[in-house]
Amino acid sequence: MKGKIKTSSARKGGLGKIPTGIAGFDEVLDGGVPKGRFMLVTGTTGAGKTVFLNEFLYRGITQLNENGVYVTFEENPKDIISNVRSFGWKYLSLIKKKKLAFVDAAPAEEMVLETGLQYDLSPLVKRIEYAIERVNAKRVVVDSIDALFSRFSNKDVVRAALYQISAKLKKSGVTALISAEKTEKEELSRYGVEEFVADGVIELGLAKGQQQFIRRIFVKKLRGMGYRSGIMEFEIEEDGLKVFPKIPVQRLLAKTDFQIRKTFGIEKLDELLDGGIPQGHVVMISGNTGIGKTILAMQFIIQGIKEGENAVFMAFEEPIDQVKKTALEHGWNFEQYEKQGKLAFIGTSLIDISNDKLLYKILTGVKRIGAKRVVIDSISTLMSATMNEEQTRQFLIQLCSIFKEQGITCLMNYLCGPSFGATRGQLLSNLATNEIRLSSIIDGIIMLLYVERGQSVKKMMNILKLRGSAHSKEIYRYEIEKGGIKVGGKYEE
Amino acid sequence: MSKKYLLKLFVTGQTPRSTLAIENLRRICEEEFPNEYELIVIDILKRPQLAEDEKILATPTVIKELPPPIRRIIGDLSDKEKVLLGLDLVGQERRQK
Repeated sequence: MKGKIKTSSARKGGLGKIPTGIAGFDEVLDGGVPKGRFMLVTGTTGAGKTVFLNEFLYRGITQLNENGVYVTFEENPKDIISNVRSFGWKYLSLIKKKKLAFVDAAPAEEMVLETGLQYDLSPLVKRIEYAIERVNAKRVVVDSIDALFSRFSNKDVVRAALYQISAKLKKSGVTALISAEKTEKEELSRYGVEEFVADGVIELGLAKGQQQFIRRIFVKKLRGMGYRSGIMEFEIEEDGLKVFPKIPVQRLLAKTDFQIRKTFGIEKLDELLDGGIPQGHVVMISGNTGIGKTILAMQFIIQGIKEGENAVFMAFEEPIDQVKKTALEHGWNFEQYEKQGKLAFIGTSLIDISNDKLLYKILTGVKRIGAKRVVIDSISTLMSATMNEEQTRQFLIQLCSIFKEQGITCLMNYLCGPSFGATRGQLLSNLATNEIRLSSIIDGIIMLLYVERGQSVKKMMNILKLRGSAHSKEIYRYEIEKGGIKVGGKYEE
Repeated sequence: MSKKYLLKLFVTGQTPRSTLAIENLRRICEEEFPNEYELIVIDILKRPQLAEDEKILATPTVIKELPPPIRRIIGDLSDKEKVLLGLDLVGQERRQK
């Protein structure tokens, strides 16, 4: 037995699964596609079917030690080999190493004329069998069912061949994907064979976003297997597909630990926080522009790294390079920490971003470096860029529940407050309604605010809320200096 | 000595359909250009690599390699007119007569 391939064992008497190797997609499928089965990959033109098939094959060969066969009825192998090179997938060398074989069923140069309807596709079946034997394949992709049907006028013959191929593949334990075009109005079964042949259906589609097309993937059917329902988003990136699975909302069964406190390394502030932020808390830093939210968050990261805790910084407000420069001015070498794998930046275009996609990016970043502290700079950018209130709420609920479960402490910056100083007696009215509304989800609020007094504008801070902590209720002065925030004395009118 | 007509017939196994196709094609050749043709019968079950090289999807398939142009037809070859038309041999037949 080959030890390399890890297949999840049969669940509840069900079938085994094999990972597709496509980033994010195996989570959707609760482990992968059913081993030794036949799946239909359907979608409109340009939805990404061919890339999907290619990646399934390529990941199988290169990462899971499962050799593959590519049966093509459309493009010739030469074009396919050249197309996938842009993803960095080198098919020619896989062919040479006998890990990949093509069954070239693309239209031949000369026309094939039918002189009658008495023929069968047994050579096709034989060639697939032969190719599987040649490379000892465990995966087969067929692109596409439509091109095959369009080639022959006797559709019964094609159907019969598909049944034969399906039976042969199943018998030899090969896992296969076959693509099928889907037009807007059409229902699934175009040739009256798909359902019978396929054990599962994966649908790819394009939806119009605000500014660009959004790619979607959707598992329609998977016989006898568990999978996450609903439409997921995916992208075709430079090294293949990335699927952003919906992350189920977990119960708020937290690893919050009030005994373990995460400090800022800012003496007075940690004291005001009753020793720091409890592990697993999600705390919002609110305040107007230029008031020091980002600096404060950076200090939280620096302190974490000093204590051996890796961190993720989500930079939506400004470019990552600019964040690094700002940090450097305060004497914090973010670049170096990044190289050492102690700090990871996530900067992403916020155009048409969805909760799932963003969550996925955050969680993969966190997992990659084993982060214990996360900063999101900022939530307000998210809300103004693309998410509506409800989406933001959903996003925060999911994020908080996951962080709590993993004992990750998170700061999120939130831009709010009057554009200039608050007047006497109005300090707390600065809070925007959004902040109040979100406050049931978050565990704490550190409020930063400008106060205009006489000829100058002072900076003040207050711990408005911190669950499970005997935090200070007072308002304190602070200054931003080189080296970070210095908290001063109590503010008094 | 090479013949004027070179035809390759691909079949799958020794089935009644295969036998019928071979018989049909041979009869057509004998009637139209006796002694001038060479017919090669290939069983794809025995020679799968040839099926791969020639991109054969269906059987029976006839490839006319000589005289040019190359032509391919599929079917049981029972309709002589269609076979000759498909293989672009109609003109040849008339010239002979």
